[in-house]
Amino acid sequence: MNNSQRPIARKDGLVIQEMPDEVLVFDMETNKAHCLNETAAFVWKACDGKNSVTEISKLFGNQSGKPVDENLVWLAIDQLNENNLLEEKIQANFNGQSRREVIKKIGLAAVIALPIVSSLVAPTAAFAVACSGTVANCVRPDGQTCDPGTPCTGCGAQGGCVCSGSACVARLAATGVSGDSKGDKK
Amino acid sequence: MENKLLKENQLNFQSYGVKIGIKAENPVFLEKVQYELKKVFPNGFEKMISGAVEHQFFIKSKNDGTSRFYRNEEIVFEGVPDNSFYEAVESQIRITIAEFAVEKVFIHAGVVGWKNRAIIIPAQSWSGKSTLVAELIKLGALYYSDEYAVLDCQGNVEPFPKWLSLRGISRNSAQRDFSVESLGGTAGTKTIPVGMVLIARYDTAKRIPRKWQPKRLTGGEAMMEILRHTLPIRNNPKFVLKVLNKLVTRAIIVKTVRGEAKEFAEMLLNYFEYQTE
Repeated sequence: MNNSQRPIARKDGLVIQEMPDEVLVFDMETNKAHCLNETAAFVWKACDGKNSVTEISKLFGNQSGKPVDENLVWLAIDQLNENNLLEEKIQANFNGQSRREVIKKIGLAAVIALPIVSSLVAPTAAFAVACSGTVANCVRPDGQTCDPGTPCTGCGAQGGCVCSGSACVARLAATGVSGDSKGDKK
Repeated sequence: MENKLLKENQLNFQSYGVKIGIKAENPVFLEKVQYELKKVFPNGFEKMISGAVEHQFFIKSKNDGTSRFYRNEEIVFEGVPDNSFYEAVESQIRITIAEFAVEKVFIHAGVVGWKNRAIIIPAQSWSGKSTLVAELIKLGALYYSDEYAVLDCQGNVEPFPKWLSLRGISRNSAQRDFSVESLGGTAGTKTIPVGMVLIARYDTAKRIPRKWQPKRLTGGEAMMEILRHTLPIRNNPKFVLKVLNKLVTRAIIVKTVRGEAKEFAEMLLNYFEYQTE
């Protein structure tokens, strides 16, 4: 483990929304939203290319008034790495221990919350409301399959597969069902 | 929407600042699309005053009796031009308006007003949000929408009182539209602040506990839940996050599993009143 590495938080291509105890980051390159809890947010903000991992853990200790294990900072950096939130990836090394072991070890003794970076891919506007699947196998947003023998124009009204009566009457090219017309131009 | 918007098989209008053009070889198609749009956009359309169309749609008739629907020259779908076809056309246009609306954030959600505050219920289609909204209306809540929470730049919610689309009324799963008045309710007319956002998953087996204690979410957790249903996030993330931040710092955000809408609605309003007293 090289604790003298000086990570740099990525800023380009990100929209950053500060919140009282968290930071919300939207990555415009991947269309992913990340929520950094207080611990992860502190580490991320301290990644200025000047602070080493050791120094970040000391800074965090000073701010929280409690001793901070360097592994806690590594856990945060590991997740920031994974989510492409650092300028350059840094290989986290937990001294031969697995991430799970470190989490367990720190978690038991921690008086500070473990760093958490939760992520989701932002839906496309259509996906937010649409059915998916194929004409023959139209899947509603609740995960249920439309019965081809049952009218389910509700799907169509939401922009996805359209079934009506006993037959599917329209289809989204993007589903791949229409094969020959996929990407067709007027 | 007035027919003066219709010229030479081309319908141009703007809605929420989004400039839309729809072209069809058969003008009857445009009349039908107008009819569908009018049902969903109760606040109507404005005549396009200036500038070019930003989103162009086209309905092309084929020799085999089917029609193709294009968005900005890309084929979207094709089929027999019956009611389902026009509903799907309306849906594509609605989504475009919701995604590109100027200085508004559209969240796919049901919304009611209760004592001058809004309760927003973000959810996907088929999750029972219209049914829950209908039950809340029966208890005296003002109807705002069963489709979109439309937020202004301050994070307050505007009325979007389209007819309620309810399933399970007929023997099959098809939707039927109802006016709020036919359910004995009233539509809200004013922009109001948001008091609560309810993230609820419907579970038919869920029984009502004696004391309902939903999980309160942190601001960040709340944003992540709401983003799942926020249409313009990819198109305008900076504005969306700014508006949602205002919303989550002022409102209570709770997450729960709920049972039947009728029982749950009463419990929800009691909880909301207690929390906002």
